[in-house]
Amino acid sequence: MHKKTGAALLSAIIPGLGQFFNRQWLKGLVFLLVGSAGIYFIAHDLMGYLRGLITLGEFPSRMVKVGKLTRMVEGDHSIFMMINGLMSLLALLFYTAFHLLNIRDAFLVGAARDRNEPIHSFGESLRHMGRRNFAYLVLAIPFVAVVFLTILPLVFSVLLAFTNYADPILPPAHLVDWVGFGNFKKMLSLDVWSSTFGGVLTWTLIWAIIATATTYIGGVLIAVLIHQPRVRWKKLWRTLLIVPFAIPNMISLLVMRNMFNNQFGPINSYVRALGLEGVAWLTNPFWAKVTVILANMWIGIPVTMILAFGVLTTIPRDMYEAAEVDGAGAFYKFRMVTLPMVLFATAPILIMQFAGNINSFNVIYLMTNGEPVNPNYQYAGHTDLLVTWLYKLALNQSQYSFASVIGIVIFLLVATFSIWSYRRTRSYKEEDMIA
Amino acid sequence: MKKSKRSKMQAVSFSLVLSLLLALTVTACGSGNGNSTAQPNSSPDSAVNEPGGTTNETNPAEEELKPESGAELTVWEAKEQVEYMKQLAADFEKEYGVPVKVEEMAGGDQGTRLATDGPSKLAADVLTLPHDQIGQAVKAGLLLPNDVFEEETKSTMVETAIQASTYDGILYGYPKSVETYALFYNKDLISEAPKTWEDVIAFANTYNKPKENKFAIMWEFVGYYSYPFIGSFGGYIYGDNNTNIKDIGLNNEGTVKGFTFLQSLKGILPLNAGDITYDVKTQLFQEGKLAMNIDGPWSIAMFKDHINLGVAPLPKGPDGEDSVSFSGVKSYYVNSYTAYPVASRLFAHFASNKENQLKNFEMTGAIPASIEAGEAPVIKDDPIISGFFKQFQHSVPMPSISEIKSVWEPLKAAFVSLWNDPGLDVKQTLDKTVSTIQADLDSK
Repeated sequence: MHKKTGAALLSAIIPGLGQFFNRQWLKGLVFLLVGSAGIYFIAHDLMGYLRGLITLGEFPSRMVKVGKLTRMVEGDHSIFMMINGLMSLLALLFYTAFHLLNIRDAFLVGAARDRNEPIHSFGESLRHMGRRNFAYLVLAIPFVAVVFLTILPLVFSVLLAFTNYADPILPPAHLVDWVGFGNFKKMLSLDVWSSTFGGVLTWTLIWAIIATATTYIGGVLIAVLIHQPRVRWKKLWRTLLIVPFAIPNMISLLVMRNMFNNQFGPINSYVRALGLEGVAWLTNPFWAKVTVILANMWIGIPVTMILAFGVLTTIPRDMYEAAEVDGAGAFYKFRMVTLPMVLFATAPILIMQFAGNINSFNVIYLMTNGEPVNPNYQYAGHTDLLVTWLYKLALNQSQYSFASVIGIVIFLLVATFSIWSYRRTRSYKEEDMIA
Repeated sequence: MKKSKRSKMQAVSFSLVLSLLLALTVTACGSGNGNSTAQPNSSPDSAVNEPGGTTNETNPAEEELKPESGAELTVWEAKEQVEYMKQLAADFEKEYGVPVKVEEMAGGDQGTRLATDGPSKLAADVLTLPHDQIGQAVKAGLLLPNDVFEEETKSTMVETAIQASTYDGILYGYPKSVETYALFYNKDLISEAPKTWEDVIAFANTYNKPKENKFAIMWEFVGYYSYPFIGSFGGYIYGDNNTNIKDIGLNNEGTVKGFTFLQSLKGILPLNAGDITYDVKTQLFQEGKLAMNIDGPWSIAMFKDHINLGVAPLPKGPDGEDSVSFSGVKSYYVNSYTAYPVASRLFAHFASNKENQLKNFEMTGAIPASIEAGEAPVIKDDPIISGFFKQFQHSVPMPSISEIKSVWEPLKAAFVSLWNDPGLDVKQTLDKTVSTIQADLDSK
């Protein structure tokens, strides 16, 4: 039998054994310590946690009266068990990876010995690591952090959609159970839910498209306008138009909320001063939608404008000169030179903005809070987006499982749009504009 | 010696293993705590349930209750009451020798934080909750009942406060303060508070000038303020004191009558419901343009220094019936995960006694829930507070069952749409509201 197979087999049974066999004592010892710690935890704790993830608890907490004093007997807390179970699952994956690597290491060193090459001492191995694989070492810490601080909460919130965790089933006095696709079925089959869901989803998409288009077109147009050679005081205009971007969203939106007030807001006062009727900016379902889009333009246009400025300054002069020689007017120059260049450079941003607008929580929440109310909707108003509806469901109504279902829908939406459209942009295909 | 491919491979796997080692130590720590919750606890038929299975058989109520030795308490308190609470904590320590730490936590957050921090053993031992949040907390098993001091609490506190701090027939709270809305009026614009809605309409006809933003009266269009148009006319939300969800009274004759009456008021307040926000009416009232404002004690400070303020009970309805308002009751509650259940009970009881409620009133203006404190001259002779106190006598505590969550939004929608469109059929709209609420209850 070759040394490599022997070493690999030994390491597969107990981590570090193969390394001992290869006479790498210190390395073997490190592996043995990590391995035994891992195996101890798996045998001692992890199995219990994983079982908890499957059962989600067996005994809820309850109150017991002794004489006059009531005390609580602690039971299982389904949600904590779910989190612990997930953590254990990840730990188990990590351990499996470690185990496989330790087998691989034993195998490689064994193979080297089969070829009668000298083996590394511990110091040499360490030096090697520092030199060759510095990147892995540095990345290990953020990697672990990402797994436990980003991936774990994500998985957890996705899993909630498959449980019945919603008022009145509240732990620790009640046990949460897995219900498979029950919530999804409810969402689609129950009339109140499905009509709200359909309505809110439709408005979310309309909102995302219009909000993105208006801010983008507006930003590019203003930038091109200011960029015209005939325009004076360019710096002044630029500064003035960046101001809305510099003021925190929250402040400008709350101010606008009062400005658009139908009866007392300054906007309608001006309109009435002109002898007109005034518009029910925030109270009529249609106008409320218009109002949030206007407010969003105020906030979003400066961002695109700044980007477009950057692109405009990079367009080579000679292209315009060439266009002029060919007899192009101002409009043609804009259509054939400026616009394609700007679009090409900013396309990825456009997609990011679209994805962001699907979730533009701030504008809706601060401006209208989803109002005007819609009596036919389930906890949502006319201007609620999926994300603000989710917020209301989870925070005001304790419907965690439904909120989680909506969360998954939002994720799918944003992900599909982003991936699909990003792959269609020229910048992704790495074609060059100016060949 | 030139670096062979092999040694590189070795080094790669070795370094990966080391980084995994790092990861494992992290996870081992991560999943190592919280052991107590992961192990399935004692089976349901443990000693606790069997008579005689417990340690001592003496009845704790007959002895003087003593705090656990070495007890230390933490209390959550909203910003405006932290100062008062610190004094109270010092008094408590003098009397019982138990140190109390006060942590600031916004009133609205305490319930949600208890749900997560309670089971993690990070929450305060005693906290304050508005009574409409206790349903959630009781259902989740996060509160200990007010058992030892039950009789005393029931005999010393206002009936409404007891009702509000009770859930499913069990008393949980140690009442702290009460609040309801009443009629704020500007004495410079209207010398006497109108007794009835008729008087309000008569005054409005002489005073209203919408062009100059002068209005007689305003209130906010949310479910909370809709109750005078429900309860005063014989309507109700849920039957049997808001506990029977099988019986929704929002489309009965009384509510239809009340909301029809509401529509008749549009003439004196010709505005869209959405335009009357808290900010708008507060500003108009401060500027002396709005004569009357339906608001609660939390806004007293906003107006006291600006205008000549008076507070009176809400105007009576068309048949001379008292207007019934919604009231809120704040009480102290004991976290069921507390390590010192006895000391916590003692503290909650101590904090809610008459003297401390009066002290709280002096320091923060919180209206006491204790009967005796309510009769103290400080309260009785205060023209503003007594107005609230009178209105409180005709109030119903906001429902504390969590099914109320199904009501607020649809109720607000009905309240708003009936107001905005006086031509809308009241009965039909309310039928729809009830079916929305019903559908929501059924979906759970």
